[in-house]
Amino acid sequence: MSELLPDFTLIRPATVAEAVATLGREGAQVLAGGTDKLVQLRRGLAVPDVLVDIGAIGEMQGIAAEGAGLRIGAAVTLSDLARDPLARAYASVTEAAASIAAPGHRAVATIGGNLCLDTRCLYYNQSHWWRQSNDFCLKYQGTVCHVAPRGNRCRAAFSGDLAPALMVHGATLEIAGPEGRRRVALAEFYVEDGAAFLTLAPGELVVSIHLPAPAGPSAYAKLRLRKSIDFPLAGVALARTERGFDIALTGTNSCPKMVDFDVPFSPDDAYFTALEKAVQKAASPQRTTTIQPHYRRLAIAALAARTARALA
Amino acid sequence: MKDHSTIGRPAPLVDGIEKVTGRARYTADLADRDTLTARILRSPVAHGRIARLDTSRAEALPGVLAVVTGADCDVPYGVIPIAQNEFPLARDKVRYRGEPVAAVAAVDAGTAEAALALIALEIEPLPAHATAAEARAPDATLLHDDKPGNIEREVHHEFGSAEAGFAEADLIREETFSCAEVHHAMMEPNATLAEYDPERARLTLHSCTQVPFYVHLAVARCLQMDTSRIRVVKPFVGGGFGHRTETLNFEIIAALLARKAGGKVLLRLSREETFLTHRGRPQTDVRLKIGMKRDGTLTAVEAEVVMAGGAYAGYGLVTILYAGALIHGLYAIENVKYDGYRVYTNTPPCGAMRGHGTVDMRHAFECMLDRMARELGLDPFALRRANLLEAPTFTANGLMVNSYGLPEALDRVEAASGWAERRGKLPRGRGLGMACSHYVSGAAKPVHWTGEPHAVVQMRLEFDGAVTVLTGASDIGQGSSTIVALAAAEVLGIDMGRVRVVANDSEVTPKDNGSYSSRVTFMVGNAAIEAARALREKLILAAAEKLEADPADVVCEGESFFIPGAAQSELPWQEVVYAALAREGTLTEKGTFRTPEKAQGGKHRGGAVGSTMGFSYGAQVVEVSVDEATGQITVEQVWSALDVGYAINPLAVEGQIEGSVWMGMAQAMSEETAWRDGLHAHANLLDYRFPTIAESPPVEVHIVESIDPLGPFGAKEAGEGALSGFPPALVNAVADALGIDVNFLPVTPDRLLEAVIKWRRAQKRAGGAA
Repeated sequence: MSELLPDFTLIRPATVAEAVATLGREGAQVLAGGTDKLVQLRRGLAVPDVLVDIGAIGEMQGIAAEGAGLRIGAAVTLSDLARDPLARAYASVTEAAASIAAPGHRAVATIGGNLCLDTRCLYYNQSHWWRQSNDFCLKYQGTVCHVAPRGNRCRAAFSGDLAPALMVHGATLEIAGPEGRRRVALAEFYVEDGAAFLTLAPGELVVSIHLPAPAGPSAYAKLRLRKSIDFPLAGVALARTERGFDIALTGTNSCPKMVDFDVPFSPDDAYFTALEKAVQKAASPQRTTTIQPHYRRLAIAALAARTARALA
Repeated sequence: MKDHSTIGRPAPLVDGIEKVTGRARYTADLADRDTLTARILRSPVAHGRIARLDTSRAEALPGVLAVVTGADCDVPYGVIPIAQNEFPLARDKVRYRGEPVAAVAAVDAGTAEAALALIALEIEPLPAHATAAEARAPDATLLHDDKPGNIEREVHHEFGSAEAGFAEADLIREETFSCAEVHHAMMEPNATLAEYDPERARLTLHSCTQVPFYVHLAVARCLQMDTSRIRVVKPFVGGGFGHRTETLNFEIIAALLARKAGGKVLLRLSREETFLTHRGRPQTDVRLKIGMKRDGTLTAVEAEVVMAGGAYAGYGLVTILYAGALIHGLYAIENVKYDGYRVYTNTPPCGAMRGHGTVDMRHAFECMLDRMARELGLDPFALRRANLLEAPTFTANGLMVNSYGLPEALDRVEAASGWAERRGKLPRGRGLGMACSHYVSGAAKPVHWTGEPHAVVQMRLEFDGAVTVLTGASDIGQGSSTIVALAAAEVLGIDMGRVRVVANDSEVTPKDNGSYSSRVTFMVGNAAIEAARALREKLILAAAEKLEADPADVVCEGESFFIPGAAQSELPWQEVVYAALAREGTLTEKGTFRTPEKAQGGKHRGGAVGSTMGFSYGAQVVEVSVDEATGQITVEQVWSALDVGYAINPLAVEGQIEGSVWMGMAQAMSEETAWRDGLHAHANLLDYRFPTIAESPPVEVHIVESIDPLGPFGAKEAGEGALSGFPPALVNAVADALGIDVNFLPVTPDRLLEAVIKWRRAQKRAGGAA
């Protein structure tokens, strides 16, 4: 309830190597745009001893062609991404970027930050007083998930908009860490556990995002109550492929999720109905917001089918 | 009516420049380096007995200057003198999650936080009741021992005979509506700066309040201080909408801390704490039965309202009375039976909120009128026109109506929206809906009755030719300071630049009851006119002496005094000012306003609530498109006409109507408070989901001027009346778009989609085309 910032040391390294070295220190966390992190700090959801501000690292900036594809620095802001001429070939990505939060946030929030955005839940994104009054929760400081008390994992919803939009274009990440650099497919970067949804090892940092040439047109549809500010109640990205559609979801599970749907495209109602059903099946929203989970599943599937028709 | 020289034209607010340039200083901006920081410890449980509260370790922490608990104040407070049952800090029992239990003042926020963590609080939990139904159950635990059944107030009124009225009806329908609790979500979070001077035993408060006078009285009572030793200042305030129409716990807590610390304390609440202070519109269930003739004439109304009022009385009895009283006053209805129940629940106390008590009832009423019109094959406008009042009149419950611009408001929005040509001809998924509404221009009897005039304004003529207006009216953004400045400039025939408004410092400004129930323009406006007229008389006397003329012949206009058609030269303003001051020195004149006896409502118990000098009258058309796949509603356009009597400042009136429409839209579509075991589920502006500018539809405002005989320049209220028209107009528009009637607020997409799915199933079962 206090909104008081905790004490921490702010370090602003100039290179990825320095950043990785600093992140290896006890209690160190990354600070990118800070649009979510600062709220977390003020709510006692993060108590870092060291914040590593990645804003001065040249290697993490910039959007550039890479063969027939694209390399995007993890520290590129969402507003720069949304209006980048090269990124326009990946419409789902620029649409998703433009849909995030509000213009003020997008001017500082970063791609890497959105990909690593902490999962969200009604029982988690609250003040310390609130969480303490509710005996905390499985995700942080507690033992029970209030969303699914009988379950054994955290059900908080992954709420980044960019991940599904990049996943349907086959994005990979370059990650730097104490053991050196590695590449990972974005779809493999996450696991379905709200309390530990990222596969980043301690001291690791997302440096850049790499996209192959687009296979076909794409789009992103976001379910939300308001046309600005809101995190997605659910989000769906679709990319047209040679065979049909690649589809990915956000907001409905504890990680972004590729939809299991490989029906070959045919321009008839049966196809789109099957697509809608596949999205319904993949989506597993929980009571993580005040808006009903059942609604989120039905509505995002309907939006997916509508978006597919528009792209077909 | 005479043309006006200053009023009736769009005028920027006199304090607008400070606000848009960021120079305005709000309460939290007033702290300096000597100011202590205060923090509140709040109850983690919804209902329980305080078994142990030990603050000794907190008091011992270096840097802590004061710790206060319920033991520091045993005087209950509450805005209604007969219903004071709240303590600034809980004593013995806690009744909602978030109720203040202790507070500390320390050298900085970190120390204050650390001190809170050192306070040992043990509470023996009691069964908690978050809803009215639970709290009214036979085995429910009582929140207050003296309130059986957890009922704060029951109201049973009948005017005419509902039974006889229903016997005359051709069509009778009964429905139940459920409206969620909503919060004001004003921009400025709560804050009080309290400074205690131990040598002189004097207390100064700066607070973000709509009612500095009530704060003054409550703080004096709770601290057992003489009122003359307290000074209350209201700085710039970032909105209120009713949240601040009563003294709130943090204001008294800040004062208690300042006195105990012997210094200056800033108590600034977080947004979450501001939500927990609540005082918004309660969750309300309305069961409504209406009877009408085949031509739409209303014959009888029977209503039962249950409000989940929260843990303490607050304004509760007024709210439950308003819901019944303002069934009247909009249409001609003779037979009305009303039963109201205000229920205690283990949630933060509800209170007054824009459209106080009337909004949910009006919602139910206007939705049902539309549905009954449909059954009778009548146009919704025609049905309203079949039930118009004829002013001047008194309603069945004794409310005075002197001016009535509803017929014109109906005509204006009907024409502007293209209703006759478009209604019923729009494609599926698009719809038009309409509704009417009204609201009081100030309560004719204040909640705190002293016998004094309702409003007093002083005007001082200065040596430099300026006119200083001293008023206790609280400008909270609605433009009240501008209204008094305009009234002075108009009556005195001077430039607005000569007028200085000094407001809300109890050391220099006269007492005013505050900004609530849309009373300020009507009451303070009239007082300002009277003060300005008195000052003008003095100036005319001085001018007449210089002109060697009969004062009755002297005209005061355009910053000069002259005799029309006469040979004498005009006297400029400054010359007459000198002459007047030479006669008797600094001139201070006073104007007052008292409500006429006949405006003070019926003689029945509770009859004062709803009574007023004049009602605003609104008609509204809302056009929506609805996405049946996602349940999402887009408001395409709003046409809102409001009879404001006379628009003294059309710019402010337009803003007030737009704001009311917007706030009605918020309640209709997305705002609600939700609880998880008595914990506020979304006490922040991200998840509480009021609309952003992206959802704000074009609002076409039509100002209707009925020139009220008692209003200042004919004006009535403008800031609330349009609100309650929006939710029913929206629901009626959704019915037009989809053929689906919904009886809940807010109409969120998840609820609407569920209704659509149910409707499709029903259509299928009935064998109809879905």
